[in-house]
Amino acid sequence: MSADKTRGPTRAKTGEETIAFTFDGTTYHARPGDTLAAALLANGVGLVGRSFKYHRPRGIMTAGIEEPNALVTVGKGGRAEPNTRATDLFVYPGMMVQSQNRWPSLAFDVAAIFGLAAPALGAGFYYKTFFGPAKHWLRYEAFIRRAAGLGNAPTEPDPDNFSQTAGFCDVLVVGSGPAGLKAALEAAEAGSRVMLVEQDAVPGGSLLRDPDPAIDPAAMVERIKALGGKVLLRTTASGYWDHNFLTLSQRLAEPGAVPPHGFAQRLWHVRAGRVVLATGLIERPVPFANNDHPGVMLSQAVRSYVRRWGVLPGQRVVIATNNDDAYLTAQALVEAGAEVVALLDARASGPAAPAGVTVYHDARPSSVTGRKHALRNVTAVIGGSEQSFDADLIAVSGGFVPVSHLHMQAGGKLTWNEEAQAFVPGETPQVCETIGSALHPPAAPAAAPAGKAKTSFVDFQNDVSLADIDLAWQEGYRSVEHLKRYTTLGMATDQGKTSNMTALSRLAEKQGVTVPQAGLTTFRPPYTPVTMGLLAGAGARNAGAHVRRIPLHDLHEAQEPIWQPLGYWFRPRAYPVDGEGLVAAALREAQTVRTVAGLSDVSTLGKFEVSGPDAAALLELVCATTVGKLAVGRGRYTFMLREDGFVFDDGTVWRLAENRYLLTSSTGGADRMAHHISYVRNSLRPDLKCSVVNVQEHYAGIALAGPGSRRILAALTGAEPPRHMGYAPGVLAGTPVHVLAASYSGERAFEIHVEATHAAEVWRAIEAATRAAGGAPYGLEAMELLRIEKGHVVVGGEVDGRSTPHDLGLGGMLNKAGGFIGAAGLTRPALSAPSRNNLVGLVSLEGPIPEGGMLIQRAGQSPQGHVTAAARRILEGGAIALALLEGGHKRHGEELIVTSPTRGEKARVRVTSPHFYDPAGERYRD
Amino acid sequence: MILPGNATVTETTSITMLPAAPLHALEIWGNPQAVATRVHKALGFALPVMNRSANNAATTLLRFEPTVWLVEGDVSVLADTLGDDAALTAIGGGIVRFRLAGPHWRELLLEGGVFDTSLAAFPVGAAAATVIDHVGVRLWAQSEDACVAYVPASYAQGLHHFWDDALPLLGT
Repeated sequence: MSADKTRGPTRAKTGEETIAFTFDGTTYHARPGDTLAAALLANGVGLVGRSFKYHRPRGIMTAGIEEPNALVTVGKGGRAEPNTRATDLFVYPGMMVQSQNRWPSLAFDVAAIFGLAAPALGAGFYYKTFFGPAKHWLRYEAFIRRAAGLGNAPTEPDPDNFSQTAGFCDVLVVGSGPAGLKAALEAAEAGSRVMLVEQDAVPGGSLLRDPDPAIDPAAMVERIKALGGKVLLRTTASGYWDHNFLTLSQRLAEPGAVPPHGFAQRLWHVRAGRVVLATGLIERPVPFANNDHPGVMLSQAVRSYVRRWGVLPGQRVVIATNNDDAYLTAQALVEAGAEVVALLDARASGPAAPAGVTVYHDARPSSVTGRKHALRNVTAVIGGSEQSFDADLIAVSGGFVPVSHLHMQAGGKLTWNEEAQAFVPGETPQVCETIGSALHPPAAPAAAPAGKAKTSFVDFQNDVSLADIDLAWQEGYRSVEHLKRYTTLGMATDQGKTSNMTALSRLAEKQGVTVPQAGLTTFRPPYTPVTMGLLAGAGARNAGAHVRRIPLHDLHEAQEPIWQPLGYWFRPRAYPVDGEGLVAAALREAQTVRTVAGLSDVSTLGKFEVSGPDAAALLELVCATTVGKLAVGRGRYTFMLREDGFVFDDGTVWRLAENRYLLTSSTGGADRMAHHISYVRNSLRPDLKCSVVNVQEHYAGIALAGPGSRRILAALTGAEPPRHMGYAPGVLAGTPVHVLAASYSGERAFEIHVEATHAAEVWRAIEAATRAAGGAPYGLEAMELLRIEKGHVVVGGEVDGRSTPHDLGLGGMLNKAGGFIGAAGLTRPALSAPSRNNLVGLVSLEGPIPEGGMLIQRAGQSPQGHVTAAARRILEGGAIALALLEGGHKRHGEELIVTSPTRGEKARVRVTSPHFYDPAGERYRD
Repeated sequence: MILPGNATVTETTSITMLPAAPLHALEIWGNPQAVATRVHKALGFALPVMNRSANNAATTLLRFEPTVWLVEGDVSVLADTLGDDAALTAIGGGIVRFRLAGPHWRELLLEGGVFDTSLAAFPVGAAAATVIDHVGVRLWAQSEDACVAYVPASYAQGLHHFWDDALPLLGT
């Protein structure tokens, strides 16, 4: 805080300073409606942050979202938000703010020593310095990582929620200044559905700085609302996409505050019939030596602090301008009791100045000196001579930049306004128009900068000076895009809002061309930074999607299983008892299935009911095996190919009735299969007389497997179960069920499919009977052991998108009549090459087989395949695995090495058939 | 106030999980005009057009796809009219119905939503297939005061929680 009460920022106390907050641990008081910037200035605090690269002291330069200097961290714990602009943060009781990028304190920052090395740290420093062997990076890395960045991201989870909401309107107006208010009100009065968006906490825009007695923003907003319009304050239109789709980021609570309803922010997805951009202007800074020091502010910002918040940012003020607008600032300062010691006008003439203000024409600031929170002195070049002024603040205006970011994001063009030295919105391909000052910026002729280029900053956040731009030019960077990347100009969190035009002017001057000839970089969303939580929305809580609950979730949960994420589902992986671990539980469960019986939840299998006279024709297109010859009450294993002939899913197909089939597919591929079969039905063969309905969730599925399964099921249904690959309807626990005699485990087994709403009764009945027979439930891990031993493939393992039916040993099952999807692709010679990876089994000759390991013949050789799944023999013990091996079908008996260099594991194996258990299928038969 | 179980009731909005009901998919693949005539005669109302509903005391039909209707309620009469031109397939086990009621139900559907739920765009009697917070749902504007959402059973609990969380935002 400034110790000298006659210098530096100040505000007379009125008793309204009722809100206590802390900045770097010191308690201050603010008035309701204060931004942090206003409150700090009111408390005499001018030093707010340190610059990114040189750690130069920085203050408050603006009064809006374009602020490049005053970045702070607000809040604590997971709610902390770094890099928040002090000018875009409204003070609330208990607010905790920390300055950033300094150590040990803001006032004394050791890293400011970088400023002394500034001559060696200019543009392209990284590219010129970090040459040499890559290992040298290890020396630099820790140091660079410590020095890089501004605020620190919180390490704790954000406790707040984030909403994402759709919005629809006829007219979306962005900006509630005089032009925006008028447009919104006119549209509402014409009967349009209106949304008015304002990033400030109160409507008015420039009216808050320059009130117009003829315009009452609050009354106009009330009128818009009364006509059915929606007015969103603290909301920034941050992205403008195709088809008049815009994203708005709304703050429901200030950063770091505890939100009243649990929601901190809301992301609006708005589709608008017409968009009106009343986005206004951003004032341009003026380059001169040390123009980044606390006490250098934009002219309109000074006026805002004076008129809106009653703050005097300085008491002895120099104003530097190239336009008429800054004269209004002089008037405001005089009215507020400040002393305007000089008004430096770069032009030869200007409007009348307020009484008592001395105007100097052909005058430009060349340097400033300062103390911690304010300036000490301003030096100017006036008509070729230097003159110094004792001042604590300089208010600068280098002209205005129309806020055309959204216009450009919408695909709009910009045109050059020579008088204003600014790009203004031109044509746009969308139903969008720009109105107000953004379309008609005030005249502001170009003025050559004075002062040393090295400390004349252009991009304040990234410490890019005029000298950096000159150096880039000198080193051959001619394109504005190259200049940007080489110097990092405009690449900070403010995206160059206050720097781009000054830099372009310098580049054009160097090139000897006009500014539009020098080019312009592209504005991309978001307009202002948005938090990751806002983009994640509710998905931040559950990795982007809801967990899908199986119908029997609660029944399983009661048995405290180990849960396994499987796609979006959670399924029991094992049911440990007596303190078992996963491995022991899975082995016990698998042994129970092999010796007695087990039941497992297979509800997540893909399931499709296909009906109608052409149902078989459709299935013979989707499935690569024959279907049409299935008798009613019979089923078969099947698999499906992509157009290119590769297997993409497998399952079973069952003929339930004359014209009704049930097709099952894998859990992981269920959604993909739903899309595929819908595409085949609706796009490839809409002529077929059939209906395809996804019944994945309609039916819960329970697998009952093991030598005792037939007897258990017969007792439960009162009927002899169908033989292997047979189907029969039945009644179990008083509930109609489909009984499918299919086996994934290698044992006599059944899938019992029941309407999901009745699944619990059926599961309870089967579980009780199975336990009574000495069996038990089994989970995914046991299922994996069982299927590996049997040599059954799994989608996502052996079916990896690169396998043909021949590779997997399924070629003999192909429909010889062809006509299925993928049949043509399969005829390509490369898919029959003998060197293709084929499915094989591996038996360990010593120790466990590392899953995922590479198959080699000897050390140093390129891999010839890989292990897709490893397990152990369930009853006998001994490691086995499935693998895909080059030419594997003809290599049975060969000895290989499985190696996993990443895990440091190896095993010697013998190549075998993949069917380790009951290859003749005798256990399927009663 | 949040009640334990299957319903959430606040002063302005209620979210109620309805009891399981017979739901079928009706797909017509042939002779659509003849089927429509037979259905009209059997049910006493015409098959609704795209994104609309029609009903009698026992049966409600909602149309979401060019050739598919969702049928809620008794299908015994309907089944006899289809012949070899259409099929009914039971799907009720996989769908949970929620009744969203109160003045803010349209606003609630905008949370995580993608389509215009205003009265003009989604009038009483309208039906829609859409996505809410990445979950595919079907909606029926049952009355000015209420809507029925047909939610995949596996997502029902998750979406119920999602709506519960969003309730404090309504009307703000």
